[in-house]
Amino acid sequence: MSALVSSFDQPSSRAGGAPRQGVLDPAAFDALFRDCAADVHGYLISLLGDRAAAEDATALAFERLYRSRSRLDHRRGTPRAWLFAIARNAALDELRYRRRKGSYGLREDLVEDRASGDALEEVERRATVRDALASLPLRERELVLLKFHGQLSNSELARALGISESNAGTRLHRALTQLRAHCAATGREEVA
Amino acid sequence: MRIVSFPADEPLPGQEAWIASLEDALRGESQDPDAGAWRELRDDVRSLAPVMTPAFEGSLAQGLERLGALQGGAVQADTRPPGEALADTRLRRGRRSLAAHRRPALAAAATAAVALVAAVLIAASHGSGWIASAPVERTPAAAQGASRPLPSTPAQGAATSAPASKAVEASPALGAVNAAGAASAPGRAQQLAASVTLGSTAANLQAISDQVAQLAVRDGGYVQSSNVQVQQQGASEATLALRLPSAQLGAALGAIGRLAPIRAENQSLQDITDAYDAARQQLSDAEAEQRALLRALAAATTEGQIDSLRQRLSASRAAVARSHASVNAVSQRASTAEVEVSILGDVRAGSEGLTLHRGLHDAGRVLVVALIVILIAAAILVPLALVLAALAVGGSALRRYRRERVLNDH
Repeated sequence: MSALVSSFDQPSSRAGGAPRQGVLDPAAFDALFRDCAADVHGYLISLLGDRAAAEDATALAFERLYRSRSRLDHRRGTPRAWLFAIARNAALDELRYRRRKGSYGLREDLVEDRASGDALEEVERRATVRDALASLPLRERELVLLKFHGQLSNSELARALGISESNAGTRLHRALTQLRAHCAATGREEVA
Repeated sequence: MRIVSFPADEPLPGQEAWIASLEDALRGESQDPDAGAWRELRDDVRSLAPVMTPAFEGSLAQGLERLGALQGGAVQADTRPPGEALADTRLRRGRRSLAAHRRPALAAAATAAVALVAAVLIAASHGSGWIASAPVERTPAAAQGASRPLPSTPAQGAATSAPASKAVEASPALGAVNAAGAASAPGRAQQLAASVTLGSTAANLQAISDQVAQLAVRDGGYVQSSNVQVQQQGASEATLALRLPSAQLGAALGAIGRLAPIRAENQSLQDITDAYDAARQQLSDAEAEQRALLRALAAATTEGQIDSLRQRLSASRAAVARSHASVNAVSQRASTAEVEVSILGDVRAGSEGLTLHRGLHDAGRVLVVALIVILIAAAILVPLALVLAALAVGGSALRRYRRERVLNDH
């Protein structure tokens, strides 16, 4: 992330050339891909609950970012925030598509084999968090996922959502408060 | 404009501090026990998501490399057969999105091109005076069709080549197209006239005058009068009054216009059908009277009657001759066009040719025309752009609203 921002903010290496403010150069894009691909995929698969759809949306997000790199303005947010905003739009488009098709419900087929080798305590804790997350309304759940997978600051979150920082903070506070309440209700005392 | 209603925008009490402590905790900058709980919750949430498979990661990287977005070797290549490579399918949407990006650009370019062409056409349709490099001043009549050669009709040709008595019969058809370029009713007798002012240098004044006279003769006309005044100092001028067959007027004006730059041009038309008909009627009456007198003379039996009829017959012959002359005069007016050619050999005319003054003058005109074209194009494009911008903003807001509504529906 830091390498990416540095590359984006630094003047271009072209001799005598002024930095092109809106252009994400190949090195920065490469760094962004390596830094964020897993997070974007994790955010999308958590939100969509479907691996194929998440992979589709991930590919689409990176491609759209590349297509729109000339319009990227670092004064309006970091490339990471821009990427997650694009990924979020792709996910919402996918949800709209599902609604039109009639397959409206989210498919909660997230794999659990990842935790198979972990301690029982961790497995139980993740189950608690998963249940608490699932109990959130989609709007709050999406916000939590965007915050934790995207690892965005409040201002970046606001940029990605297209709302004010104050509003983003209010919504995040509400969502995380609800999540902790659900965790507490289902036995996640250490978090709540 | 934001049409999406979000939850209350009012910051909660202590919200800023809460956000700051949360971000400190997630960045690992706080060792507070609650900060550790936030980090653990974040990690747990993140751990719920299945990891990206190497196969997908490889195909995604390959697809982005094909786009030129990634440098080679960023991620281990996909080892699956090409037919199973996700990039082929995942990026298909992206190609559609690329097309979606290109469509507005193409539409905008096409719109701008159409507007530019329309502006040029509009500017051109407002008269060649905007675009012509020569400062031709045209009268209203001339502006409608002054430079258009008059088409000659068979009837016109007959009128010009036939003797006067034959021309009388053919002349009513002369007015098929008038001098101002507007079609007139057939069967009308019309008198055409034109005046042309040419610009020239004093040195060329005499030569051009001679060429004009030669043109008149070549086209079957003649020079009725001419006056050439050449001065070493000051303005020189030549004036030629030509009489040309009406059928040759257009061609003659075109040829004259090629001799020197046209300063001004005027053409006029006068309908003389009534005068022609009146002369014809007078002739017919005189001839009828003459025939009646001849019949009466043949039937006369006394010397007195014969003398009286001979006197009246003599007067009648004179009346017929006058009527013939009148008809011929009207016919001549219809079949002959009066052309007045003025040639100015002044300083202004002397600037013709490739000179700095002339070049600056032409450059100024080109800039004026370009400005007019730009203004017209802007008049077309600005309202169009405003409408398109409003549609784009509205479309964006609608798209955003629909996206956000999905979150509300779950």
